[in-house]
Amino acid sequence: MELTDADLVARIFVDDDQHAFGELVRRHQSAVRGLLRQLTRTDVALADDLAQQTFLRAYKNIRSFRGEARFSTWLYRIAYNCFREDARRRKEFVGIDEEQLQAQRDPQVVDPGLRHDLMRALSLLPLNERSAVLLCCQNGLSHDEASRVLDIPLGTVKTNVLRGREKLKRMLADWGPN
Amino acid sequence: MEQVNQEDWLDGELREAAPYIDDEGFTARVLQQLPPPRRSHDLLRAVILLGMTFLASVLAYVASGGGRFVSITLERLVALPALWIFVLALASGLVIAAVGATAAISRDRGLQA
Repeated sequence: MELTDADLVARIFVDDDQHAFGELVRRHQSAVRGLLRQLTRTDVALADDLAQQTFLRAYKNIRSFRGEARFSTWLYRIAYNCFREDARRRKEFVGIDEEQLQAQRDPQVVDPGLRHDLMRALSLLPLNERSAVLLCCQNGLSHDEASRVLDIPLGTVKTNVLRGREKLKRMLADWGPN
Repeated sequence: MEQVNQEDWLDGELREAAPYIDDEGFTARVLQQLPPPRRSHDLLRAVILLGMTFLASVLAYVASGGGRFVSITLERLVALPALWIFVLALASGLVIAAVGATAAISRDRGLQA
């Protein structure tokens, strides 16, 4: 029988079981690295560095995990904090301007693949909308869980998801269902 | 209706745009950077506790004149009526069970917290 995340956390808590932690890393590395790649606008090296920081921080603070939320939600919160601290250091530009938006809608500069366009459109969203859309629409978190991860009010999450979706739909208007 | 289709389509595309990322040594790199496990401290703590217990036992044995009080107490116990021995055994069992249950509950609470 496969152990749940809570069982593995209990093993780390009681016995400092690093094999159990390894299993947790194996289970969640793809989701955490994927989220960070999107947040860093597909900077793979930076995203993987931040993912490593995320798991190390999770291990050091495992005793603060109270089991009130899913383990993955707790990890996303740490990942987002790592990203935010790094972005603050790098003073990342988090806005989007209309010129970029128009460029996306101009058929001459639109790339042929939908996947590519979607990734590009996502990377053009402001950070607050991008992170809300990624967590709720891509990683399947509820608005409530996302508000805990992002440490912002529930209403703000809903607004950011709505706005982010609207912008994505506008940018991907040519690909949508007719 | 069209609005709902649009959102379903967008969510579906977003989920599919996040393919599984192969581990490729990532987990091993994370595990290499972990601090050493606490177990060494636990072992040290156990050695200290056992050592202190042994030392205290030796001191108590010497101070009590070779443990004569144990044999005296046993003689008194044997001289007690059978009902008293039964009551004492039952009371001891209950006390030990209560202590065990309390320890288990507090540990469980600690894990949940």
